[in-house]
Amino acid sequence: MSLPQLGRHLALARRGGQTVLIWSDRHFLKFAAWPSLVIMIAITAIPFALTLALAFTNYDLVRYDDWRFIDFENFRIIGRTRQTTTIILNTVYLVVAAATLEAAFGLALAMLMAAKVRSIGLIRSLYLLPIMTSPIVVAMTWRAMFNNNAGWINYFLGVAHLPQPLWLGNPLLAMPAVIISDMWTGVPFMAILLLAGLLGVPEHIKEAAAIDGAGPLQIFRYIILPWIRPVMFVAVLLKSLDLFRKFEGIAVLTSGGPGFASTTLNLHVYNTGLRYHQLGLAAAWGVVMMGVIGTSALVLYFALGRTR
Amino acid sequence: MNRTVPDRLRRLPALFDWRVALLVMGLVVIAVPYVWITLTAFKHRVDAAAVPPVLVSPVTIENFRTIFDGPYLGSLVNTAIITFTTTIATLAIGVPAGYAFARGKFPGKMLLAGWLLFSRMMPPVIFIVPLFLYFQRLGLINTFTGLTLAYMTGLLPFTVWMMAAYFADVPEELEEAARVDGATRMQSFTKVALPLALPGVSTVGLLIAIASLGEYFIPFILAGIDTTPASVGVVNYVGSNTINWGAMAAASLTLIVPVFVLTLVAQKGMIRGLTAGAIKG
Repeated sequence: MSLPQLGRHLALARRGGQTVLIWSDRHFLKFAAWPSLVIMIAITAIPFALTLALAFTNYDLVRYDDWRFIDFENFRIIGRTRQTTTIILNTVYLVVAAATLEAAFGLALAMLMAAKVRSIGLIRSLYLLPIMTSPIVVAMTWRAMFNNNAGWINYFLGVAHLPQPLWLGNPLLAMPAVIISDMWTGVPFMAILLLAGLLGVPEHIKEAAAIDGAGPLQIFRYIILPWIRPVMFVAVLLKSLDLFRKFEGIAVLTSGGPGFASTTLNLHVYNTGLRYHQLGLAAAWGVVMMGVIGTSALVLYFALGRTR
Repeated sequence: MNRTVPDRLRRLPALFDWRVALLVMGLVVIAVPYVWITLTAFKHRVDAAAVPPVLVSPVTIENFRTIFDGPYLGSLVNTAIITFTTTIATLAIGVPAGYAFARGKFPGKMLLAGWLLFSRMMPPVIFIVPLFLYFQRLGLINTFTGLTLAYMTGLLPFTVWMMAAYFADVPEELEEAARVDGATRMQSFTKVALPLALPGVSTVGLLIAIASLGEYFIPFILAGIDTTPASVGVVNYVGSNTINWGAMAAASLTLIVPVFVLTLVAQKGMIRGLTAGAIKG
């Protein structure tokens, strides 16, 4: 290769390199975003599409090479199942009761936490601990606390001469037990989110209202509540989504029992698919569950999230 | 008048503020399960299951010997591996995506946004059945790769979402200035935006680590004998017939203590981290 030739090659290569640089510069955002997109398609979008497809098959892990599409048969089975109403109502019960209680107590706690007093930072961060604690540890510990004879709850109820119910074995008390154990993490969770909203209420508006003669209750009702409504919406939405997918706190605490007394949609999808291997039917239950979640999100949006 | 009172004394009444009193009472309620775990972890097996319960009893480390002699030690190692790989992989993929999301347009942005929201709403049980089926096909059941990928179903959308909020806080003018000076997009990301969003990255990383440390549902289904993490292993002490509360409590402590330390060390960022997504998102 002659010297000029080499020079030309080098120049070309350099220009080529530059083009690559400009090209990669122009498309940098794409390169930054697409790996996420690809992985999301692989681990969530394809499984989601498969669930939709499975819902119309009789796929069963026990005889997995003999499956076919069965139209809406799975949904007909769900319609015929005696426990369907119970399971859906249990789910709504858990989500509505726990989210409401946690929003109310959480707001009260957040208002206390908004106090500008000494060591409030330490107190706030201690309230973070239940949120961060592994849900499985929480579930097992509450199972011990609710234990009939050896549990602390009934022990202290006995000390106070109150009735000592069979918490986890009583169909009427199983779900309240699940809700109580959920509140242990749920109330601090709500409080931390609402605190951020409360700290955003401008002082001068409150002061102006106070000068105009508004009492603390009026300030709360007409200034604080409307101001934190968007935050309340997001907090309740996030918490509700967590409650829909609550697994450990039910599976370990009550196993959905006694009978079906604390079985929620989430637990039932799991039971049908992974315990009884009826993947097709489980997928159909999953579709029902998504319907319930979607409807609830819409209801919540119209109740709290709409901006006037 | 106040000026004559030493600072130290003037701050004292704050401790007796009624709001603080209520907050401390709330903390006592929060503390009860932790107290139970700690006391039970150091109890003899008989005392741990005593009827009626004995609150305080002779101290023993028998429970810790039980868990560290058994398979639990291996599952703790597995937890460390999974937590590490999940945190690194999710950050490596999610942080640039969060940046792309906060800045400018790219093809597929709306699709990604919609899907992020959607997968935040859908419960993992929807994904886990098909994931189980095709992981089985691909031989990803009982592998760390498979578990890391499955953990990302929830954590990746979370990371992209949160990092988008953090990057939106970085003033775009700074990056424009760098680009006027000849920096490429890549350089303005790594040299300007990323260092400024580093507190956000570390907070999100901590939240990912804590979430993977405690994750139960996914490994319960997709892990096998060689990859079982501690969150699944701990349940082995609570069988349907025999329950070893002491060993369970000791094992729980090994899951709680690291999270306590991480939370208290990073508390400021964490409160922000928990709320950033909620308030801005």
